[in-house]
Amino acid sequence: MRQLIQVRVNGQMYEEEVEPRMLLSFFLREGIGLTGTHVGCVVGECGACSILLDGRLVKSCLLLAVQAHGREITTVEGLAGKEALHPIQEAFVKNYALQCGYCTSGMLLASHYLLTRKPDSSEEEIRRGLAGNLCMCTGYTQIVDAVKEAGREYKKE
Amino acid sequence: MSQTKYIGKRIRSKEGPRHVSGGGQFTDDMTLPGMLHAVILRSSFAHARIGDIDSRAALEVPGVVAVLTGKEVKEISRPFKPGRYSAGLKTPIPEFATAMEKVRYVGEPLAMVAARSRAAAEDALDLISVEYEPLPAVVDPWQAMEPTASVLFEELGSNIAWAGAVSYGDVDEAFRSADQIVKEKLKTHRYSSTPLENLACLSSFDKASRKLKVWCNGQNPQVIYDALGEALSLKDYRVIIPDIGGGFGQKIHLIRKYVVLTSLMSVKTGRPVKWIEDRSEHMMAAGQSCGMEFDIEAAVKNDGTVLGLKIKEVDDVGGSVSTLTIHFTNKLNNLFSTYKVKNLRLEGRSVVTNKCPVVPNRGIGKPSMCFIWERVMDRIAKELGKSPVEVRSQNLVPAGEFPYSAPNGNLYDSGDYQTLLEKALKKLDYDNLREELRQEREKGRYRGVGVVIGLEPGGRNAARDMAIFPNVKELPGAGGVEGATIKLERNGSITVFLGAPSCGQFHETTTAQIVAELLGIVPEHISVASRFDSEVSPWGIGSSNTGNNFHLYDIGAVHGAALRLREKILELSAHVLKSPKEKLTIQEGVVSADHSSDNQVSFAQLGRIAYSNQSLIPEELEGGLQTTFFYKFPHAQPFMVPDKQGRVRAQFTFSAAAHAAVVEVDPETGRVKVERYIIVSDNGTMINPDVVDGQIYGSVAHGISVALGEGFVYDSEGQLLTITLTDYTKPTTCETPRVEIEHSPVPSPFSVLGQKAAGEGAAIPSPAAIASAVEDALQPLGIRIRELPLSPEVVWRLMNESKKGEAESP
Repeated sequence: MRQLIQVRVNGQMYEEEVEPRMLLSFFLREGIGLTGTHVGCVVGECGACSILLDGRLVKSCLLLAVQAHGREITTVEGLAGKEALHPIQEAFVKNYALQCGYCTSGMLLASHYLLTRKPDSSEEEIRRGLAGNLCMCTGYTQIVDAVKEAGREYKKE
Repeated sequence: MSQTKYIGKRIRSKEGPRHVSGGGQFTDDMTLPGMLHAVILRSSFAHARIGDIDSRAALEVPGVVAVLTGKEVKEISRPFKPGRYSAGLKTPIPEFATAMEKVRYVGEPLAMVAARSRAAAEDALDLISVEYEPLPAVVDPWQAMEPTASVLFEELGSNIAWAGAVSYGDVDEAFRSADQIVKEKLKTHRYSSTPLENLACLSSFDKASRKLKVWCNGQNPQVIYDALGEALSLKDYRVIIPDIGGGFGQKIHLIRKYVVLTSLMSVKTGRPVKWIEDRSEHMMAAGQSCGMEFDIEAAVKNDGTVLGLKIKEVDDVGGSVSTLTIHFTNKLNNLFSTYKVKNLRLEGRSVVTNKCPVVPNRGIGKPSMCFIWERVMDRIAKELGKSPVEVRSQNLVPAGEFPYSAPNGNLYDSGDYQTLLEKALKKLDYDNLREELRQEREKGRYRGVGVVIGLEPGGRNAARDMAIFPNVKELPGAGGVEGATIKLERNGSITVFLGAPSCGQFHETTTAQIVAELLGIVPEHISVASRFDSEVSPWGIGSSNTGNNFHLYDIGAVHGAALRLREKILELSAHVLKSPKEKLTIQEGVVSADHSSDNQVSFAQLGRIAYSNQSLIPEELEGGLQTTFFYKFPHAQPFMVPDKQGRVRAQFTFSAAAHAAVVEVDPETGRVKVERYIIVSDNGTMINPDVVDGQIYGSVAHGISVALGEGFVYDSEGQLLTITLTDYTKPTTCETPRVEIEHSPVPSPFSVLGQKAAGEGAAIPSPAAIASAVEDALQPLGIRIRELPLSPEVVWRLMNESKKGEAESP
């Protein structure tokens, strides 16, 4: 028994039939081919699958695809503008705030969510804001530095 | 290199833009037409005989295409050959992709289900019934060694799967000449770097051509390639390794089982099959570092000179013999650490237990070897009433003695260990800090400082393992040959193929910097292939994202290939510009004669000639602007293969670092807070300082977390209690301290650019630094730190037991 859902992802409208038990993370990856959302644990611990749902930061492995019906989603693929990278993406590149790239999508969305609400977040606030996203490679230092630097761009906006 | 344009400079990374856009390509991101999804049935018992596996009900689930059980695996595949990781194994024990007859750890694979969707495959998994006959679980290595213990491998007769020793110098004489014998017992635990991407494989078998194509995230293509050759009766197979979501050693070895299993399923069904491990499977069965125990004696002079060390080691290697001795043999890489000590004996026993098999993890045995040295140095200082820094200093290899030959055959290329220590002390303001901490402790605060030093060897030489197993039938990969291919494309841009995959260490960027420097072209015009492909990559002995290999072998190969291509470019240009080669210069992809802007040819023009105009190519020049170069480390001999005394160049370059930790322990909770952490590091010439820093930040974060509590915990039945990242206590941004790095490079005289390793690095000394600092903080309670991890629970117990002891004593 499949269910029809309508969901807007990165501005694009999708109408898809899904199994009610399908997780949102798998819907994004396998259902509509947005493989930038990564899966590291499927139980909400690692944050690799973080997305924005109606502007709020959520872990897409903790939601069913059917729960996204009628809502708006931003994934990592939707961060950049048509020409240039988004300032948070640019700061991650510039500061070497990634290594293997697997946590990066979730990290970016968590950072973006944090800076949207508080561009001048202190180091402690940044660390608390990213505590739901695990990175096994970087030791977080360059990520925190990137978020700090990007904050200055958010202030300008 | 005196004047550089790109080497050692900050540069925009090649990998960054695709990863921040979600454009990385990981194994799980790929889908093939008709692809099936596979899941694995795993043992729920730690130790049991297996009877019948009934999968009939599973096959009835809509969407399920096939089930592959151990019985069939045995019929259609051959066991793996015991590789170098099981050096010393006396009785061959055939190991297949799944368990046969017996399971020896929770999570050991038993069968695979393939279905049109992962959900259907998981539904079917629940319907497979397995007949288990439970056996007593052997969890503790000391219990496992008891004569009455249940035996894991009947063929071995006991659970001591290996026992052996290495000895260098005259250890007995050292102990006869000693003024004091300092004794200590130490223990390190099981942990993992838990890469965020779990194991993954996609196999596609083409029945008509009998060709198998495999995509997977193995760090070492040789392991995957050999496993497919050994297990499947196929001649034609291709291994592709795209982006890897972190490796750290976890993806070297046990992944071969799953690649073989997935491939057998593809052969069986004639369809592409994808298998993606989930997190709990990874924690249970993808491999863990080894639990190790050490009984140590140090022969010491009253002035603090260390004459020798005797170590008895027990390794808890888990439920497989396929990685029997890696944690022992890897200690040869930093056996004498940074010290000029001449005599050392290391005796080892590898004990099999009903736990997950051990696998390499960032440094393998090296963090423990460093832990031994640094704990012993602290102990010696205590017993002699000397400063711990002073005892270290007087035993260091002096800066004037490089290249230094260590007694076990290692040749330390360069270093200045005393300077590393001094710089760390200066940054700490050590003497004043110690006084301040002493006063604070008097006031009841538990604050302390630890300063340690460690070696970081680089460049693998797998023949090292023969030091404990000289009679090995098949020589493991000796030395470290590695290739790189560079070509000038038709449009004047440059493409590079490396021989090894990357797990996120910015190999593309680093490669582009070197090529840009040597060819005179901007990095933006250089493309470095981001994947390993056995059909294309110029691979050799050193082609592996392991053993700190990249800096030595791949960079050596890139350097050699770029210089060769430069020669070809100059020869063709000389012909085109009608100028002697010696008068040509290259800048930003343009070759000029006599620095003149009138007589120039661009790389794009050269590309058009090379690809479309033979009439302009000189007779004596090979057509095509492409070169492949294979690098060989020039100082691998003597001792590339161990001599009769077991002397071997276990690794080839030697980075080093001093680590200093300042901590405060909360007596209420036992929690250790790292207030300050300083690293003074010598990684030789840095090609990309951001990348080197990233490797240091990442490896130290893991080492600190290992010391402070992350780790695997089993119950007495062999059930893993830390099956999620939360239970395992993986640190977040909040628990990870900010680390201060100071670089103090001493370039290697042996590597092409003076570069040394930086990957495993800070994971090696950091557990020792934390232990040292915590012990210092707990001085008022007289607590000795002998074991890792120092989780809040452990520290709290140590503190309370010592207080209880005080209260009870008269």
